[in-house]
Amino acid sequence: MKAIIRIGMSTSDIAAGAEDTFRAIESAVRHRQLDVTLKRTGSLGASHREPVVDIEIDGQSTLYGPVTPERVTPMLDQHFGAGERGVSDDWVISRKNDRSDYPFLGKQYKVTTKLCGIIDPFSLEDYLAHDGYQALKQALKMPPEAVVQTVKDSKLRGRGGAGFPTGIKWELLRKAPKHPKFLICNADEGDPGAFMDRATIEGDPHKLLEGMIIAAYATGASQGYIYARAEYPLAVNILRNAIAQAREYGVLGENILGSGLNFDVTIKEGAGAFVCGEETALMHSIEGKRGMPSMRPPYPAQSGLWGYPSNINNVETLTSISSIILNGADWYAGLGTAKSGGTKAFALAGAIQRSGLVEVPIGTPLKELIYDIGGGCANGRELKAVQMGGPSGGCIPARMLDTIIDYDEISATGAIMGSGGMIVLDDTVSMVNIAHYFLSFTQDESCGKCVPCRVGTRQMLNILQRLLDGRGRIDDIEKLRRLCYTVGKSSLCGLGQTAPNPVLTTLRYFEDEYLAAVTNDVQGQTKLVAEASV
Amino acid sequence: MITLTINGKTIHANPGEKVLDVALRHGIDIPHLCHHKDLLPSGSCRMCLVQVEGAAKPQTSCGMTVQDGMVIETDTEDIEAMRRDLIDLFVSDHPLTCVTCDKNGSCNLQDYAYRYNISETSFDFELSRPKYYDDNPFYIRDYQYCIMCGKCVRVCDEVVGANAIDFSQRGFETIISTPFDVPLAESACVFCGNCVQICPTAALLPRSKIGKGREWEMSRKQTICGYCGVGCTVEYALKGDKIIYAQGTPDGTVNGEFLCVKGRFGWDFVTSPDRLTTPLVRKDLAYELGLTDEPWEMPQTPVFKGKPKLSNYIPVSWEQAIDITATKLADVVKQHGSDAVGGLTSARCTNEENYLFQKFMRAGVGTNSVDHCARL
Repeated sequence: MKAIIRIGMSTSDIAAGAEDTFRAIESAVRHRQLDVTLKRTGSLGASHREPVVDIEIDGQSTLYGPVTPERVTPMLDQHFGAGERGVSDDWVISRKNDRSDYPFLGKQYKVTTKLCGIIDPFSLEDYLAHDGYQALKQALKMPPEAVVQTVKDSKLRGRGGAGFPTGIKWELLRKAPKHPKFLICNADEGDPGAFMDRATIEGDPHKLLEGMIIAAYATGASQGYIYARAEYPLAVNILRNAIAQAREYGVLGENILGSGLNFDVTIKEGAGAFVCGEETALMHSIEGKRGMPSMRPPYPAQSGLWGYPSNINNVETLTSISSIILNGADWYAGLGTAKSGGTKAFALAGAIQRSGLVEVPIGTPLKELIYDIGGGCANGRELKAVQMGGPSGGCIPARMLDTIIDYDEISATGAIMGSGGMIVLDDTVSMVNIAHYFLSFTQDESCGKCVPCRVGTRQMLNILQRLLDGRGRIDDIEKLRRLCYTVGKSSLCGLGQTAPNPVLTTLRYFEDEYLAAVTNDVQGQTKLVAEASV
Repeated sequence: MITLTINGKTIHANPGEKVLDVALRHGIDIPHLCHHKDLLPSGSCRMCLVQVEGAAKPQTSCGMTVQDGMVIETDTEDIEAMRRDLIDLFVSDHPLTCVTCDKNGSCNLQDYAYRYNISETSFDFELSRPKYYDDNPFYIRDYQYCIMCGKCVRVCDEVVGANAIDFSQRGFETIISTPFDVPLAESACVFCGNCVQICPTAALLPRSKIGKGREWEMSRKQTICGYCGVGCTVEYALKGDKIIYAQGTPDGTVNGEFLCVKGRFGWDFVTSPDRLTTPLVRKDLAYELGLTDEPWEMPQTPVFKGKPKLSNYIPVSWEQAIDITATKLADVVKQHGSDAVGGLTSARCTNEENYLFQKFMRAGVGTNSVDHCARL
């Protein structure tokens, strides 16, 4: 009998009490002298059922969650002892290896998060046993131009949110005449409610490193930086360990796998500024300066870190690379839509039955993700809207949930694809309040450099606060629109340019709530409502 | 040579030039608050946005390099409306106390408020940083007037190299500050005041100027700074015959617009009552030369310890003073030889004066013992 017990030990599992569960299982296994391999893994993504424990015996897996320490004894009895000892069916998430009996997991299509919750993130051997670094070996046999071409053909677009084609970005760096070249991984995940990058790094750090090394080979970069959130201590720890293992294994450092490629990776921990996710601010932060955006052009590929050509890719972009190399560009492109290939991970949160990390092919309708995978709105409430893209994104109303997950389709609604934050809002939510929440976040996180973002968002916030307090003025909505326009068009960086999005989309789809909030002047309100209905 | 079109006008520019610089040179007045010709572009005021053909969004002209065939509109209705909104936002966080403001008449924000006809904000007036610092003898920092253009930070970094100040805090509360908000004297500040010079508003003001007059009441006198041999161009703002403040001029030959602490703030001696206005001869020598009947003996304590007592001297004319000096010097040379005399001159003299001095020492006195304080 070959038995493996996997215990999810990601940040979200630990928050749900996974450490106590782990200790309970560890001592029970020792006490019973069971011949079992205990494995600490990352998160499977099923946050709503954490802590999650997977008991696999002779290749047959049973997934449990949430597993409290009290549930450990009956569970172990069931599998390794006297038989049925009161294990409730409610504790079981899935009894099938393909998880087809649990739609939250069964209906996903995992690429970047495939090994999360399966392998031990501290173990290089585990990664190697799952085709680890095979893609790198394969890429090193190809000319670098062919690697770039493969990425271009895969139709992979930047997963940080803007969706710039990754292959073209790589080509720009490759063609830049200056040396050295830098490759930066943006792991400064700051959107409220988003945790895709954290989960990916905590579950499968070598996949990120492998993607970076392939990118370095393809672009000619000699030094890599991972700009990670300091608020992610576990992810940073796991990455540090992985980098040390990779150096020892010979895939980082000089003459990688005998190919002549020299490349190393350094972790730079951020200091908690949201704006450092903006690429120019991020580079200033690595340089030791205050994280403040600067004008583009020059773009990073022309003049980036310390004035040298640089390329910045998000964690999810880079973790997609090894799968693209291994399975081919056609396979990856075939997963998505005509213009955008592959899959996208989302942090599904808010008023949803089953929250957590989900990964679906691009082109999947929002409805499918929210109802089939997420199980629809929680507590029997009615779904009102879905907020996508965090503070730079917007709200998509329930009636538009047929929209497919695709950069252009989502942008057409006024929201953005974003890095993967997806918050489900039910009918108890005030949309003005939602706009206020996201805008207050942006306002707090503005770097203060340019006036539209520093003062403009403040004035927008003042108006929203007035509306929420029932002190709305007759011209507030018009003023709000004007500010949205000016702030969006005249701000220096992406943070300011997209700051009005939460307001703009809620104004577009839920204007009646704004109008209702203008209560001060009854006559004025009637006039506004009349105008709106024309 | 690059050819581009701005507002329908064909313009030639050199490769690498920025659109804003080229436009300003050709008399096209693109509004700007954070631009300075000697500083790297920062793009923080957003006033110089222009519409470039083919670009979806307005572009920042101060940071945009000219390209052949560019077609630019600087004052479309859309852009002008945006600029008006920006000024509206600036003055929502800047007291429009122009009537009593010492910057009245030389304030860039005031100029644009006038241009866009904004006498008060249409938004909520809300001060983000009503902080006032009066922590040094040279200038004050009144951050309620600060518009965060960042020119002070850049001049301190790029021109002076002191890096005494930077942006601090985030969001609406962002402020320019020394590290940990220590007083300027404890920071790396060298009090050159170049930040004061290029501040577009009343956020940084020379203390000497506060309450001392309106800009239009002052006359300007351009001269060469007498402090050292560099020869910086300095301009004094005068009210009547009183110096109110000193500043550099944009076209200074050797220093551009920038000065050091001495040139900018060290001119109070000009009208100081302590200033010597006539040559003086010490009383013992005066008695010896028959200029006074009163015998006098030098006190035991050295006369130069502490402030010199004017009562120990008697005033003489320049002719007398030069006569006495020449006679005494000739006596020494006659008695002890030329090499008994040495000459030491000053960096505050001009090159020509220093040349003449060494000529005098070598040809007149006959010694090579001549030196200069800048070598010490």
